[in-house]
Amino acid sequence: MIKRIAAAIVGIGVAGGVGFLAYAWYPAIAPVAPPPPSSFSAAQIERGRVLAAGGYCAECHTRTDGKRGVELAGDYKMDTPFGAIFSSNITPDPETGIGHWSEAAFKRAMRKGISRDGTQLFPAFPFDHFTHMTDQDIDDVYAFLMTRAPVHSVKRDNTVGFPFNIRLEQAGWKLLFLHEGPLKNDPAQDAEWNRGAYLAEGLSHCSACHTPRNLMGAEKASAPYDGAPVDNWIAPPLNEHNPTPVVWTEDEYFKYLRFGSAPLHGSAAGPMSPVVHGGLSEMPESDVHAIAHYLAQIDHSATRVSQDPKAIAWAMQASMKDLVGPQVNPNAKLYAGACAACHANAGPQPVEGRPDLALNNALWLDEPTNLFQVILRGIGTTEGISTVSMPSFYHSFSDADLARLAAYLRATRTTLPPWTDLEKKAGEVRKTLPVPPVASSH
Amino acid sequence: MTTFRLNGREVTVDVPGDTPLLWVIRDEVGLTGTKFGCGIGMCGACTIHIGGRATRSCVTPVSAAEGADITTIEGIDPEGNHPVQQAWREIQVPQCGYCQSGQIMQAVSLLKDYPSPTDEEIDAVMAGSLCRCMTYIRIREAIKKAAATARGDASNG
Amino acid sequence: MGRLNRFRLGKDGRREQASLSRRGFLVTSLGAGVMFGFARPSSANQIFPLDRSLPGDGAFEPTIWCSIAPDGEITVNIIRAEMGQHIGTALARIIADEMEADWSKVRINYVDTDPKWGLMVTGGSWSVWMTWDVFRQAGAATRTAMVEEGARLLGTTPDKCTVANSIVSAGGKQISFGDIVAKGHPSHSFTPEEMAKLPLKPASERRLIGNAELKALDIPAKTNGTAIYGIDAKVEGMLYGRPKMPPTRYGSKVRSVDDTEAKKIKGYVRYLLIDDPSQVVQGWVVVLAESYSAAIRATDALKVEWTPGETIHTSERDIQDRGRELINNKAGGVYIFNDDGVDQAFGSAHTVMDQEYTCASVLHYQLEPTNALAFEKDGVYEIHAGNQWQSLILPTLAKSLQVPESKVILRSYLLGGGFGRRLNGDYMIPAALASKALGGKPVKLILTRSDDMQFDSFRSPSVQRVRMAFDASDKITSMDYQAAAGWPTGVMAEAFMEKGVDGKPYDQFAIAGGDHWYEVGAFRVRALRNDLAEKTFRPGWLRSVSPGWTSWGIECFLDEVAHRQKKDPAQFRLELLTAQGRNKGQAPDSVGGALRQAAVVRRLMEKVNWGKTSLPKDTAIGLATTAGQERGMPTWIGCVAQVHVDRSTGVVTCQKLTIVVDAGTVVDPDGAKAQTEGAALWGLSMVLFENTEIVNGMPVDRNLNTYTPLRIADTPEMDIEFLPSTEKPMGLGEPGTTVVGPAIGNAIFNAVGVRLRHMPVRPADVLRGLQNS
Repeated sequence: MIKRIAAAIVGIGVAGGVGFLAYAWYPAIAPVAPPPPSSFSAAQIERGRVLAAGGYCAECHTRTDGKRGVELAGDYKMDTPFGAIFSSNITPDPETGIGHWSEAAFKRAMRKGISRDGTQLFPAFPFDHFTHMTDQDIDDVYAFLMTRAPVHSVKRDNTVGFPFNIRLEQAGWKLLFLHEGPLKNDPAQDAEWNRGAYLAEGLSHCSACHTPRNLMGAEKASAPYDGAPVDNWIAPPLNEHNPTPVVWTEDEYFKYLRFGSAPLHGSAAGPMSPVVHGGLSEMPESDVHAIAHYLAQIDHSATRVSQDPKAIAWAMQASMKDLVGPQVNPNAKLYAGACAACHANAGPQPVEGRPDLALNNALWLDEPTNLFQVILRGIGTTEGISTVSMPSFYHSFSDADLARLAAYLRATRTTLPPWTDLEKKAGEVRKTLPVPPVASSH
Repeated sequence: MTTFRLNGREVTVDVPGDTPLLWVIRDEVGLTGTKFGCGIGMCGACTIHIGGRATRSCVTPVSAAEGADITTIEGIDPEGNHPVQQAWREIQVPQCGYCQSGQIMQAVSLLKDYPSPTDEEIDAVMAGSLCRCMTYIRIREAIKKAAATARGDASNG
Repeated sequence: MGRLNRFRLGKDGRREQASLSRRGFLVTSLGAGVMFGFARPSSANQIFPLDRSLPGDGAFEPTIWCSIAPDGEITVNIIRAEMGQHIGTALARIIADEMEADWSKVRINYVDTDPKWGLMVTGGSWSVWMTWDVFRQAGAATRTAMVEEGARLLGTTPDKCTVANSIVSAGGKQISFGDIVAKGHPSHSFTPEEMAKLPLKPASERRLIGNAELKALDIPAKTNGTAIYGIDAKVEGMLYGRPKMPPTRYGSKVRSVDDTEAKKIKGYVRYLLIDDPSQVVQGWVVVLAESYSAAIRATDALKVEWTPGETIHTSERDIQDRGRELINNKAGGVYIFNDDGVDQAFGSAHTVMDQEYTCASVLHYQLEPTNALAFEKDGVYEIHAGNQWQSLILPTLAKSLQVPESKVILRSYLLGGGFGRRLNGDYMIPAALASKALGGKPVKLILTRSDDMQFDSFRSPSVQRVRMAFDASDKITSMDYQAAAGWPTGVMAEAFMEKGVDGKPYDQFAIAGGDHWYEVGAFRVRALRNDLAEKTFRPGWLRSVSPGWTSWGIECFLDEVAHRQKKDPAQFRLELLTAQGRNKGQAPDSVGGALRQAAVVRRLMEKVNWGKTSLPKDTAIGLATTAGQERGMPTWIGCVAQVHVDRSTGVVTCQKLTIVVDAGTVVDPDGAKAQTEGAALWGLSMVLFENTEIVNGMPVDRNLNTYTPLRIADTPEMDIEFLPSTEKPMGLGEPGTTVVGPAIGNAIFNAVGVRLRHMPVRPADVLRGLQNS
């Protein structure tokens, strides 16, 4: 999900000067005795649990490579161009976790990206978003974390080499890119929008993945929500640059974020799946509505929604292309044999549970990355549309097969220019899978 | 360990997570009505329902079925009398029969999405179900018959 | 051809003297098993899990072919493979009809191998034709025994009894077959001579034969997951195996094996080098594991290096060129017909037409990949697998295992598609040898699809050269037909080869169809054996065998002649189907001869309004007709295909197939239609959708990502009609395949004037033809 943020550790060249050092230097906050669970109310812990889910804490603080770690015990591996970073243990274990952290120390980390001992945290930890949270929300998260069972777990050492391992550099990064403090209410907008903005920009940090980053690894202020590559997937644009033929309305966003599937766009796969199923699913429906409400305005969907019926009608035509009557085109045969049973739609609307590829994000993006990812990995029942699954075609198709399938779909199910270098790109995406998802035969 | 429901029963298996569901169902659970054909998800012989939707079990890792509700040909109707199964017998669809579990599972799923399917809808949705005996003419006919039966049942009940 | 039934396999597995008459064979084989009053031991039927056991003590077994239990249940023993033809039901109808059985009490039992069954083979569309006489006689014997004992129990005489629906009646009293068995002691035995003299029912009194209402007995289990195929066979403690396929079909030698990576896979047990004394399986390494999934993984992880066989670089082109070379060499080959005057006719011809037709390799892709379960129990090797020719593979298995044939038994299962692939039981050998290597422990070997396709015994590519001589008035004076291909029967069942007019053996299944029923003057048919094909792969029998491709040459060529002579192609064929000389037919198999083929063509013309249709631009119909599989067992069939040709893409669309068949008596009308539907669509698939090519000694296609057989959307409208007949029933499993390819080739010519001589029809060839015309 937000692992790509790890790339943001570059901050070199900014550091320098005594004044800067003064700015960058923070004292350690004295360790405290781990607060007893009884010092937090059950209501506060519950509020904290929901917030921790909505901020996806467990996603980046639980080991997944090799073996599954204990939740929140850290050691999650984030690959960056500069080396691997391993996330920290945020259970209240005094020795290896945050047991000695006071509420103030925790808040400073969330607001400023400073560890209890005063060291700079890499912005792989999205404090640039968490900084916008209210004091109350941060305290609630603290209450939740400090009442977890302490897990003694030492994380592996980061492999980020010199000079990127000089944490002091992060201070410079913050000077440029951190806008500290809670988000201000916009009185011009309604309450739902403001709630949505608070969640999307703060706790749930949507733009961390969906906004491209500059060379310093910070979100480009000039291109908010323009979409960006993340973890070998593409986080699609959430603004009007989103290329899908049907706009992302509030309703589509809501269904997607709540149930894992937007009938007119596709389902939540890859890094987006835990956002929906591991995170937002714990939040009240009203909060998910609020995020959808907010995002739908970034998208300006209201001004474009009138084109949707035409786009859907076109897609329904395209969906049945080459599936009716005899067919000898080998690429069409590949699609018919492997995909059509689940993806063909006869209209007038796509049937729920039959994701239509002529409407699907993956086909309309500038690159075939997500299409290849989904075909190679499949989608489990705990991802995407929960309860159903898509198989993995990892062993079914060669890179050449993937390339011709992608080319065929792009040509017949979109109106966009062809993708290029497909076979090579298919191979590159395949390489990002550490092990084949399914031990099937060819 | 993976746990899922199979034909209404809870099943827990201890196999590597990347094991294709097909072999779990056939060899671990012992239900052999689901068949191995191509192994690449392109013949449909291994079709089962996951969450009520037709899915190729030969390329679905068991890990992807955690918590899933799975139905195989053996569980589509307790008496083997689903309208699709009845139609299959009345029209005498199967020849060698090897693909027919998958055809029936796909057809049941088709009728959920398209209760009165046209030839075009049948061709598109059944495109992934290969029948080497080439019983296709009868498959089309039986699907329409099952659809009619199902509609009749609905209007009578 | 079709004289297969003259042969039976002797105890040593070799064919016995072929001098027995057909009737002699059938009676001998039946006579050997007339075991009256013999209590049949119970045994498990592997195919359908029965809710009751088979009839045990107390059942009456009037012949080896059926038994009647005290509760009246009639079990019919089926020695044919059930692979989609509903053959058990068709054969049970024959015996039950003659016996006057209550159909609701009939069930079928697919038997395991035993010498008492005689020749166990399911192919060539022979099953009904081969069983017709023997089952009617067995039915009559059973009926006679029931009536005699029933009369005794009713206190009357047989001549006063009537029998129907498993009930013997006389003078207002009646007794059922079951009660006769339960209360009486039927024990009449018949000599083969007596059996042959038993009166048989006239066609008009048949109730089950030809009854379109009866349902196939094997179908219900195929709709609820209970039908058991070879791949479903299992025994306690079996290991799963998967082969690591060598780079060539023959001659690959294992240089090294490294299982370091395989050992990391949970459930991996070991690998085995397969050393097959029969030499059928060469260069295999079999990986064994505790689950099939582990076997798949471990096989992928196992590293094997081979020294490949000599055909490692052989291509389809090489093989076809070798075929041409053989044809162009006047020496060699076998003459099936070699009438006097062929050379003179060509020497003095006013004109000669000379064309070459080629057909690509075609894979079986039977949906159930080949597999077998093997183990040894009490000194006997049991092989559990679906198979079409048990009598052929059993001696080979004995040789591989180095045990007497009596120490090998094949257990029968349903076949997930046959289409000829399982006539060749080679896939049982590595399973058996793996089990032997483990001291008889059960091994279940399953080939993945790509393994299966590499190991396929596929349809050989072929070259046909067709020549015709005409005199000055354009009258046909002679025809010279030659075909070169790999010979499946030559490789796998040499003893079954026919002898040509020159006394030399040839593979009837690699030339049949070339010996057509048209009157063409002095006629020569020469079969050439493509040795390079046979070195490269194991040529197989594939649905409709050679008539599936010789028809492409013969029937396209005849259309070319008709067009050249400016004659209507259908009328032109009728002129040649005059039933003269060798084409007049003979009882009982080909009564009427070529006139019956002409009748089929006439009916077809009526049905499609031949010559009077008006179709859209670039759309046309084309016709082809054949005598089905073999001259000795002709199924007269004709097809009209309607196609549309897209001039911009070269894509040919088949819109409709109209087929007329005269197969003699049709035992199972719905099954006959189903077989013809499937067979015709195979024909369509091979001409428009599927084929492969040999590249580096192997078929280049390994799975459905590139191999593209016909699917549901490709299926055209079909109209199939059987001509009424009371003649002896002929075969129906394959003839439908033979006519579709050439009907389409001829329709394409009629639509856009492009003559295609290579099968399959590829859009690029159509486009090239359009450019050249």
